[in-house]
Amino acid sequence: MIQKLLKLFFVFFVLGTISMQAQTTLVSGTVTDALDGTTLPGVNVVIKGTATGATTDFDGHYSVEVSDPNGILQFSFIGYTTQEVSVNGNNTLDIAMQASNEALDEVVVTALGIRKEAKALGYSVTQVEGSELTVIPTTSAINNLQGRVAGVNVTQNATGAAGSTRVIIRGSSSLTGNNQPLYVVDGIPITNQTNGSAGMWGGSDGGDGISAINPDNIESMSVLKGGAATALYGSRAANGVIIITTKTGSSQEGFGVELSSAFTMDKVNTDLYNYQTQYGQGQFGEKPVNQEAALSQAFSSWGAKLDGSSVPQWDGVSRPYSYVGNNAEKFYETGFTANNTIAISDANETMNYRFSYSNLYNEDVMPNAGLNRHTFAINAGAKLADKLTSNVSAQYIHEKVDNRARLSDAPGNANYSAGLLPPNVNVNFMEPGHNEDGTERRISSGTFTQNPYWSAYNFSNDDLKNRFIGSFTIRYDILDWLYLSGRAGIDYQNISRTGVTPWGTAYQPNGSMNVSNIATTQVDGDIILGIDREIIDRLSISAFVGGNSNTVRNETLTVGGSNFIVPGLEDIGNLSSQSRSRGFSERALSSVYGSIELAWDSWAYLTWTGRNDWFSTLSFPDKEEPNDDFYQSLSGSVILSEAFEMGSAINFLKVRAGYSEVAGGADAAYQLALTYAIFGNGFLGQPLGRINGSQIPNSVLVPSGKTEWEIGADGRFLENRLNFDIALYGNQTKNDIVGVGASLASGYGSALQNISIIENTGVEILVGGTPVRTDNFEWYTSFNYTYNSSEIVATDDVDSEISLGTARSRNVQIKQIVGEDFGTIVGTTYVRDDNGTIMYDYDPSDPISVPRAITGGQDILGVGVPPSIWGWSNTLTYRNWNLFFLIDGKNGAQIYSGTNMSLTGNGLHEQTLAGRETGLEVSGIDSNGAPFTTTVAPADLAIYYGRETGIAERWVEDADFIKFRQLSVGYTFESKLMDKTFLEAVSINFIASNLFYISRSIENIDPEAAYTNNNAQGLEWFGLPSTRSYGLNFNIKF
Amino acid sequence: MKKSIYILLFALLVSSACDDGFAEMNVNPTKPTQVSLNNKLTAVVTYISGERYENWRAQQIYQSTMMQQQAALAGYWSGDKYLWNKGYASSLMDRYYGNAIKSLEDMLIQVDAEEQPAEMKSIIRILRVFAFSRLTDLYGDIPYSEAGKGFIDGILKPKYDAQSEIYADMLKELEESAAALGSGTSQFGSADVIFHGDLGKWQRFAYSMMLRLGFRLMKVDEASSKAWVTKALAGGVMNSNDDIAFNYHDNNVWNGNSSVYNADGNPRLSKTFVDFLQAGNDPRLPVLAQRRGDGSTDPADLKGLPNGWDSSILLEETGEENTNNYAEINRGNLAAPEAPMFYQTYAEVEFMQAEAAVRWGIGSDPEGHYNNGVEAAMQMLALYPNSVAITGDQISTYLAANPYDAANAIEQINTQYWAATFMNWYETFSNWRRTGFPVLVPTNYPGNVTGGTIPRRLTWSTSEQSNNTENYDAAVAAQGADELTTRVWWDVN
Repeated sequence: MIQKLLKLFFVFFVLGTISMQAQTTLVSGTVTDALDGTTLPGVNVVIKGTATGATTDFDGHYSVEVSDPNGILQFSFIGYTTQEVSVNGNNTLDIAMQASNEALDEVVVTALGIRKEAKALGYSVTQVEGSELTVIPTTSAINNLQGRVAGVNVTQNATGAAGSTRVIIRGSSSLTGNNQPLYVVDGIPITNQTNGSAGMWGGSDGGDGISAINPDNIESMSVLKGGAATALYGSRAANGVIIITTKTGSSQEGFGVELSSAFTMDKVNTDLYNYQTQYGQGQFGEKPVNQEAALSQAFSSWGAKLDGSSVPQWDGVSRPYSYVGNNAEKFYETGFTANNTIAISDANETMNYRFSYSNLYNEDVMPNAGLNRHTFAINAGAKLADKLTSNVSAQYIHEKVDNRARLSDAPGNANYSAGLLPPNVNVNFMEPGHNEDGTERRISSGTFTQNPYWSAYNFSNDDLKNRFIGSFTIRYDILDWLYLSGRAGIDYQNISRTGVTPWGTAYQPNGSMNVSNIATTQVDGDIILGIDREIIDRLSISAFVGGNSNTVRNETLTVGGSNFIVPGLEDIGNLSSQSRSRGFSERALSSVYGSIELAWDSWAYLTWTGRNDWFSTLSFPDKEEPNDDFYQSLSGSVILSEAFEMGSAINFLKVRAGYSEVAGGADAAYQLALTYAIFGNGFLGQPLGRINGSQIPNSVLVPSGKTEWEIGADGRFLENRLNFDIALYGNQTKNDIVGVGASLASGYGSALQNISIIENTGVEILVGGTPVRTDNFEWYTSFNYTYNSSEIVATDDVDSEISLGTARSRNVQIKQIVGEDFGTIVGTTYVRDDNGTIMYDYDPSDPISVPRAITGGQDILGVGVPPSIWGWSNTLTYRNWNLFFLIDGKNGAQIYSGTNMSLTGNGLHEQTLAGRETGLEVSGIDSNGAPFTTTVAPADLAIYYGRETGIAERWVEDADFIKFRQLSVGYTFESKLMDKTFLEAVSINFIASNLFYISRSIENIDPEAAYTNNNAQGLEWFGLPSTRSYGLNFNIKF
Repeated sequence: MKKSIYILLFALLVSSACDDGFAEMNVNPTKPTQVSLNNKLTAVVTYISGERYENWRAQQIYQSTMMQQQAALAGYWSGDKYLWNKGYASSLMDRYYGNAIKSLEDMLIQVDAEEQPAEMKSIIRILRVFAFSRLTDLYGDIPYSEAGKGFIDGILKPKYDAQSEIYADMLKELEESAAALGSGTSQFGSADVIFHGDLGKWQRFAYSMMLRLGFRLMKVDEASSKAWVTKALAGGVMNSNDDIAFNYHDNNVWNGNSSVYNADGNPRLSKTFVDFLQAGNDPRLPVLAQRRGDGSTDPADLKGLPNGWDSSILLEETGEENTNNYAEINRGNLAAPEAPMFYQTYAEVEFMQAEAAVRWGIGSDPEGHYNNGVEAAMQMLALYPNSVAITGDQISTYLAANPYDAANAIEQINTQYWAATFMNWYETFSNWRRTGFPVLVPTNYPGNVTGGTIPRRLTWSTSEQSNNTENYDAAVAAQGADELTTRVWWDVN
């Protein structure tokens, strides 16, 4: 009986279904992009008023069962204007969708990886797509951010291809500490320390951590600029946060393979060089008489007029006394940079993954230098259970850097030797750099100036880096409005660094060597409990509370020594005096934080955050002062265009404001107590003991505090064809933890104290739009401008000045001075009378007296950091062709050029041509104040200029520039063509970078040629010359 | 129910995220919180002996050439030509405060805190006086009472004390320290690389230093000077070469002067010095010197380079293109890495006793003291490694040929003092300023900053002008311009 009933039921059910089916219409079609006809996968097709729908497949096809022949289908896709089309009894409905620039409900990645709608944010966030970072292949993804984001000052400087990059967001907040932002990759902060930088005595830049991230793997980079944005990351984010999200498999449905390849040839930009080419090697206007004279005048271009006669040179060979061409062009090679990535991805409803391998290969313009980096990356997400999602992201990076170039001071610095050779001396003859017996082939009698080929080929400065960055995220939706998520990650890197001063080097005949192994581990974990729900009708709340733990551990083992025993064998065991040392430090940060966001009717938002950080670097047994700090932020936004009725011209208008506080701890561990050390290898059989270090520790150190306010507005007009974003901000940091200079008679160099007040105020403007848009052609342009004004309001109670760095000439330094900007350039000046006339040491009664400028005291000569920076980018598309170019500029900074100073002192600078035949007229006042005018004889020009080199004032010049930075011209193959092959999308671009200067105010050097990326900006001294690159990139998707 | 479990779990996890273990984590696991006084003492001796840095600049480039015992053509040997290289001039000040003075002040705190025997504290105080005496004799007014106390008292900008007060305090320190020493062995033991724990030698060194510093007051306060000299002699000064205050070096820490010779081939022996040795047929000449070109130590081959020359003057005056024919330091012994560094010798003490007898009638037998001094000065050269000892016969021959001359006693005594302090040019410079002997003819090189006179001091660190401005300015106001020609307090005329 029951069985019968069941059978009947089944029949009715089937019949009913069939009859239901008979009443519906199957509607299908293809959805394409209206502009270029490419098919659009992933478009949502929904029957309006129902939950029934489908999505287009990878061919843009869809099909959906529609019951009402007059029903309406709604087509929606992010980045395109939603369309509603009536079925009208049709079975086929092909739709062409219009792209909308910056969709209104744009979603950005904010703190802790939480995606929010941009409109809800009370603070400034700029999101940069990964594609913007891959236009030109570089050795560090962050370099391509230059000129693109308001408020962000990116400088690579002259540190070489494997060098570090300085990124400053909204001015520097710490007098001497770290001013770079926090980098977060897939949720976990990564270590970004620079392992060494060049200074007064030379050295090289050790690279940084952010360079390891391959730009082809970056989906988007979110720059969080202000305090309210970063409050949730705590003290490490006091200088801003850059959140990098790597690509996942879910950007395209189904299985896909993507191949990207970009490569460029890099050449030294010889347009910059403006050396004199009329007078050759020698001194007092005479050519060198023999080899010994040539060696002793190796870099002196004060010789005779070039006349083609045969004149002895450094190796005893006589060569024609004529201009041989630009030595930079001869010495530096054509560099090559190639970045290739292959990625495989797949996605379905429950899981997605993307696996990629990339290789970055670079040969630097400096001979025998370069780097090779392999990256294996996987990003996989899965829905583990009904309410449980997880994501794993892991990268392994293996990088080998060969011969990081030496910068600044002369020893071992090929840039110095190659840059100062007289016009008749050809650098190519100096190759090879070594003699048959393995010693340096000397080109100069000064032991501290190397044969450039010896520096490039025989010195070693190599790195081998292995790095693993991994993070694991899991999220459980306890209820549909309550979630629990956790994340843990590790950034482990191990660098093995070898530095060799070779046996046979002129200034260190027995050579020296050291090998270091630097292991840094950062472990970070978060756990968050959050809610998202509507409280009453139009008021909803989104809140979370969480805890974070972060530990960084650093261990360095160094062995080394000097005096090789067996020449040419570069091994630690082959050193007659050996030393060994171990450095270790560990610090931890622990926090509890929370955030509450209230949203009213989707046009008014208010967010509060609070966080308490505990710092191990401010902790010590029996310390009573606090090692923690609690700080808050409040920000809000109102979307005026939704609250009020505005004209149709205004699509979107939002105003926002915020105020935030952030605490900071000491960057380094073990700063609170004095320690001792047993050092050296003993003496006469006795151990040696002493106080450790030359900085006075501070047992009562407390956290520093930074407060920031921000107001801003952003809007879109004329159907999104015009958009702008403007922000005004001001921040102040107090109790900065600074090493204050002490008199050397105190026994110490500095004392660690909580002092100082530093302020920054500024404005960031972004304006963009599409001035021209037709069926086939579109021009999108975007201009960003930043102005940041900084001031050191106070240092300690006696307004001490704090020195950040000094140049090799020892007459100029970068200092923090009360009442001035961050990082002022201070150096020696001329002595002048009230009319500004220069005072010279000159005796009019002495016929052989040469006027030599008197060196005055030290004065402020400029600032090292430009207050204004701007960038202008343009994208033009015509059918399948596209053209992109980026121009950027910086204004208001100065730079001390050690290169120009040396060029002038040695007679290579163009300004030294004046007076070589008939003498140089010099007017001034003598030491009694009496005016004089005299002619410096040609033979005495070197004495006159020699004194000028000691006056820093003359060598500090404006570093303003406007540069045509990036260019890309390309073609994207039509999808119709692609349909016939297995290829999905192919695009190919011709690319170029640093093509030319539209304007610059300094000769012979790139205005961005400082030799360091630390806080002492504004000192230049024979770094690597700037390069231009040309190349191709192409992208193929399967 | 399920909800509350999750929230509880969460709260538990979060509450563990506080600062457990942070205090211990911030204690440096690689460095001790204190080390033994013994280890610090050995290190302090190496600091007082100095590294290559200050020995190259302050001692050799400046003082050895100003005192015309060495000479060099190279432009950077500023003292030879009375040029002013501020960094070189301040090099002793640049190093001593951060190394020796800081450690000594730290040790004084530790010795009290650990309640160590008084003899240990005396030794530390004596070394402290020695280090400060070098600084004040060279620069004049210097930070003294507040120096080295950046951590101890938080004094970041020490004041400059007047030299008169520094001398008064140093002499008092020597008096008290000497009184607290007896005989026997110090607890420092072999960590004391100068006297190896012999307290008697330390006491005699203290009184010998009192003799030296007391004598310095001669021009500015004769009464006080006589009193201290008398007190020192009564206390008991060095009585043989066994009492010499010096230490050897080793391959780990080279003698700073030897490191200079290893790196710098420019210095030669000055004509003034070599002529003096030649004139007396001094047996020291072949021990101290060798010819640059071929290493010959035959006195007939040894000639000194005049001070104040450069390579063009050399060419003009002699036709020589290089200085290979001139004498330089004997590299085998005096410039050996393990060579001893002398702080005060018995020879000097004998010479001072001779002078005390001649000048003030304190003590007696100046001739006897003079002869002892010459003998001691010659015999002590045997302390250098690889040295050929000067025999008693050679010494007698020398003394017979160059006998004590009562008419010119002071000049003769101090000229021998000058020769005996070769390689301890701090002392050479101080004693020449005190006595004016030997009479040296200054050079007058174009561009010199002293108007053709021998400098009377070296200048303070330029960093003091910005890091300790108020106190620096006060010191300039008190002592006079920060220049090479300004006289220090005891060098009053």
